[in-house]
Amino acid sequence: MAPEDQAPARRSTLSRRGLLRGGGAVAAAGLSVAALKLPFFSVAGAAQDPATCRATDLSERERRLVISNWTGYIDPRRNPRGTYNTFQDTTGITVEYNDDVNDNAEFYAKVRNQLGSCEPIDRDMIVLTDWMAARMIGLGWIQPLERERVPRLHENLIDSLRGKAWDPDRTYSAPWQSGLTGIAYNAAYVDEVGSFSELLTRSDLKGRITLLTEMRDTMGFMLKVVGAEPEDFTEDEWYDAIDALNRAVSDGQLRQFAGNNYLQQLANGDIVACEAWSGDVIQAQYDNPDIKFVVPEEGLSLWSDNMLVPNLATHQANAEAWIDYYYEPEVAARLAAWVNYICPVEGAREAMEQVDASLVDNPLIFPDEEFLADTWDFMPLDDRQSQQYEGDWSDATVG
Amino acid sequence: MTQAAQAVPETATLAAEPSGSRRRRGRTGYLLMLPATLWLLLFFVVPFYSLVATSLFDASGSDFRGYEMTYAWGNYVDVVEAYWQPFLRSLWYAALATGICLVLGYVLAYAIAFKAGRWKWLLLVLVIAPFFTSFLVRTLSWQLILSDEGFVVDALQFLRVLGPDDRLLATPVAVVAGLAYNFLPFMVLPLFASLDKIDPRLVEASSDLYAHPFVGFWKVTWPLSLPGVVSGTLLTFIPAAGDYINAEFLGSTNQRVIGNVIQGQFIDANNSPVAAALSVLLMVLIVAMVLVYVRRAGTEELL
Amino acid sequence: MPPSADTAATGAPAPAAPDAGPGGSDGGLRLSSLTKRYANGFTAVHDLDLDVPRGSFIALLGPSGCGKTTTLRMVAGLEVPTSGRITLAGQDITDRRAHQRPVNTVFQNYALFPHLDIYENVAFGLRRRKVRDVESKVRAMLELVELDSQARKRPAQLSGGQQQRVALARALINEPEVLLLDEPLGALDLKLRRSMQIEIKRIQVEVGLTFMHVTHDQEEAMTMADTVAVMNGGVIEQLGAPAELYENPRSTFVANFLGQSNLIEGRVLSRSADVTTLDMHGITVSVPTARTHTDGDRGWIGIRPEKVLIGEEGADLDAPGNTVPGGVVSDVSFVGVSTQYLVRMPWGQELQVFSQNTGRTRMFTVGEKVELSWRPEYAFCLDINQDAAAGVDDGETR
Repeated sequence: MAPEDQAPARRSTLSRRGLLRGGGAVAAAGLSVAALKLPFFSVAGAAQDPATCRATDLSERERRLVISNWTGYIDPRRNPRGTYNTFQDTTGITVEYNDDVNDNAEFYAKVRNQLGSCEPIDRDMIVLTDWMAARMIGLGWIQPLERERVPRLHENLIDSLRGKAWDPDRTYSAPWQSGLTGIAYNAAYVDEVGSFSELLTRSDLKGRITLLTEMRDTMGFMLKVVGAEPEDFTEDEWYDAIDALNRAVSDGQLRQFAGNNYLQQLANGDIVACEAWSGDVIQAQYDNPDIKFVVPEEGLSLWSDNMLVPNLATHQANAEAWIDYYYEPEVAARLAAWVNYICPVEGAREAMEQVDASLVDNPLIFPDEEFLADTWDFMPLDDRQSQQYEGDWSDATVG
Repeated sequence: MTQAAQAVPETATLAAEPSGSRRRRGRTGYLLMLPATLWLLLFFVVPFYSLVATSLFDASGSDFRGYEMTYAWGNYVDVVEAYWQPFLRSLWYAALATGICLVLGYVLAYAIAFKAGRWKWLLLVLVIAPFFTSFLVRTLSWQLILSDEGFVVDALQFLRVLGPDDRLLATPVAVVAGLAYNFLPFMVLPLFASLDKIDPRLVEASSDLYAHPFVGFWKVTWPLSLPGVVSGTLLTFIPAAGDYINAEFLGSTNQRVIGNVIQGQFIDANNSPVAAALSVLLMVLIVAMVLVYVRRAGTEELL
Repeated sequence: MPPSADTAATGAPAPAAPDAGPGGSDGGLRLSSLTKRYANGFTAVHDLDLDVPRGSFIALLGPSGCGKTTTLRMVAGLEVPTSGRITLAGQDITDRRAHQRPVNTVFQNYALFPHLDIYENVAFGLRRRKVRDVESKVRAMLELVELDSQARKRPAQLSGGQQQRVALARALINEPEVLLLDEPLGALDLKLRRSMQIEIKRIQVEVGLTFMHVTHDQEEAMTMADTVAVMNGGVIEQLGAPAELYENPRSTFVANFLGQSNLIEGRVLSRSADVTTLDMHGITVSVPTARTHTDGDRGWIGIRPEKVLIGEEGADLDAPGNTVPGGVVSDVSFVGVSTQYLVRMPWGQELQVFSQNTGRTRMFTVGEKVELSWRPEYAFCLDINQDAAAGVDDGETR
């Protein structure tokens, strides 16, 4: 197991935002717009009822499973003893694994016409970040999981990921991996950057920082900076935070909003500090020990990417077998040892002793309670709020 | 008798053939047009119609609640008010990049057409060679070339063109340079096609008729290459005005162009009516500018 | 090749030149030791000397690749000589660029500016030199070439002949010291070519400028030019008035390229002041010394086919001189004004005979025995070392 051989961290791949977003967005825009109803008539809402928009489960007859996950988010599938092949061998289920999720919003744009009109997307499982999972669950596009078929999920899920407002009992979602959003800096160029307000004001960082393109990550910090709580804020506080962001943009402190190769720029010195995802930083540290991850004074944002079963999936039971399998502590440890994100499975830390002892005490993979005490989550937004705030965000980041 | 009977219908069909084949030719024309017509109908007319429709939806709708057709022409007013800056920026960057491409591309195409001799075709292949790699990869490698610690910035700082804290990446210079680089072949190829057609004896004739080489260029080569100049500038300007990859990778937040706004509205803000209104507006704007330009350039005057 | 250089340098065959000064070269064009060697080693023009008196009409005649066009382009300034000088109207213009030379060219295929109308094409040179009164000059020139009604048309809208006249007008209007014509009639059909030849000649006489005309068409060269320079392999083989070149060629190339010649091998028997006597396959023939261009003891005896008389064996032909018996007619072609015979001689060679159909002699048929004769003063004698077939194919390709 040599993590530096490859860069599995899903969020650091060059392709993440650019490739599919760039090329695909235009095509996706054209096609989805084309699929809107003609002629000049209104378009009905996309909300569905998962109880009615569901398919017969063929899992017993068809031992297969179709998954869409983020790029590089699993230990090597060609390894015959890897988690992927072990699952196929023990269950007899053939898994069609697609690493075709590059971006939450872009993936949403790809599937919204089908799921919005109760048509199949030919996937039994998709993996999306909290807020997108929340939106899809809210739209009724996601099937509830059979509780008795995923016992280990409910048994082994770590406490900090339980009780989310958008899915309090984990009826619809199962975290695949979790991560922290904090600050990274390059110690070869600058002193430690201890807080977000430092990041936005220190003159030696001017023009040499980036922020993430994920609204909930960045705006969470901006809300903290203006003294608001991301978990519960008012509209006024939101606009204070947007104003603070606009100031950082207009006075040139901020170089870019980055979604993909920000760590490459951090390594080569184009930027010296940035908002960063923990798994990416661990990966980058293998190559460049000058890159440091900081828990900002404002705290950390904790997020998960969640396994979801979309409407009209035909192999739900197989998907549930997959979920339950990855909630075995030993399997979870093997996965976490490769992808370096936070493992959502209780007991995996103990199992990690056998897999890679050097990772056992890494708080970015197995954070303790104290570490997680400072983490916060972004307030769930209703439909109107999310449209309004995402519009504001888009305007601020696009200028 | 049987032979004669057989012969008659044969001559009859022969005689009938001319008019029949004419009809068939007429039909063949339409048949040949059919695939492209269907293609355009399916992938241009229908989406365009839908795009216009979407741009007139009530902008306060959402996927969750659906979109109401309210013929909200106000969307257009709103987007112009909100986004006139990135609009202007797109056109300005595209115009700058087109100008740079024209100067660089003309010199290059001229050299290839008139001076390259037997290397002509090799050089042309080299001009097209960047197309063998993906547009994104090329733009990303410009990120490396122009990086703050890269040799270009170092050299310019050494020459005092740039101050010690200045940078290229995430500036308008980088965006325009990236646009010019990426669209240069679109300029060079039509220019080359035009220049290559010019009989070198015309240039000789002009110098024989007392024209200094510069005057000869201005009076003969340039006007004869105008069709290439017009199509080259169009082929460069139109995609450059809609491009947002260069702004995304090489620019900063202050260099975002209209393409970024459209993408942001469509994908991040999930606001299809605004995104559609912006798209339609961009299209109309470009078509209008092209029409004015082509008329001004007076291409119909040429040959 | 010494002969051509000699001839050219002495300027001996000074053609009729209306306003040529004494010596004929002061105001004219002079090329001295002009050489053009290309980077690939090919020598297009080799040490060429040529004197063109002012107001004369010279044709450079030769097969393709003989260097005639390169010579013209060097005069125009479109090609830089490897060595040698070009002098025009007493001034050395070798180092002047094309647009600085008082020389204009009528290009092959005309090279008219397709984006300009006829008027602007013709006015182009005047506008570049900022000449006043462009309007009236252009009008006058278009009248001269009878195109005044076409002034606002584009070149592509005109016929070939009209385009040709525009090209001529565009060059002439500048009143150059030398007007260069580079195969200007090559693209026209035969009938139009003939009338344009006369037209250009008329204009040349009218404007009195020096014309230098490049062509591979010997008939065109002879019709139009006062002086013809026959070029071959980068040198001038012979220079002179058309009639002189035709009647007294100095090389087998000229003899064959200009019209046709019978060349018969002979051995020199004696040389006197007036006449060279040769043994031609057992028959003694004489050639005037002035027309003998060889010092060797053998030579090619040349006679033009139309100078050969044909008669029945033993007939008393009216040519006192060289009589050659023992021929047999091997081919007859009747072409109207004349009949062309091929006659096989006792030594196996076939000679050409053109017989005017005057009605005074009857026609011969294949297989008839005949006797040939010619007047000695029409014969010429050439260097036996030259190829008897030189210029034959080149001449036929036209």
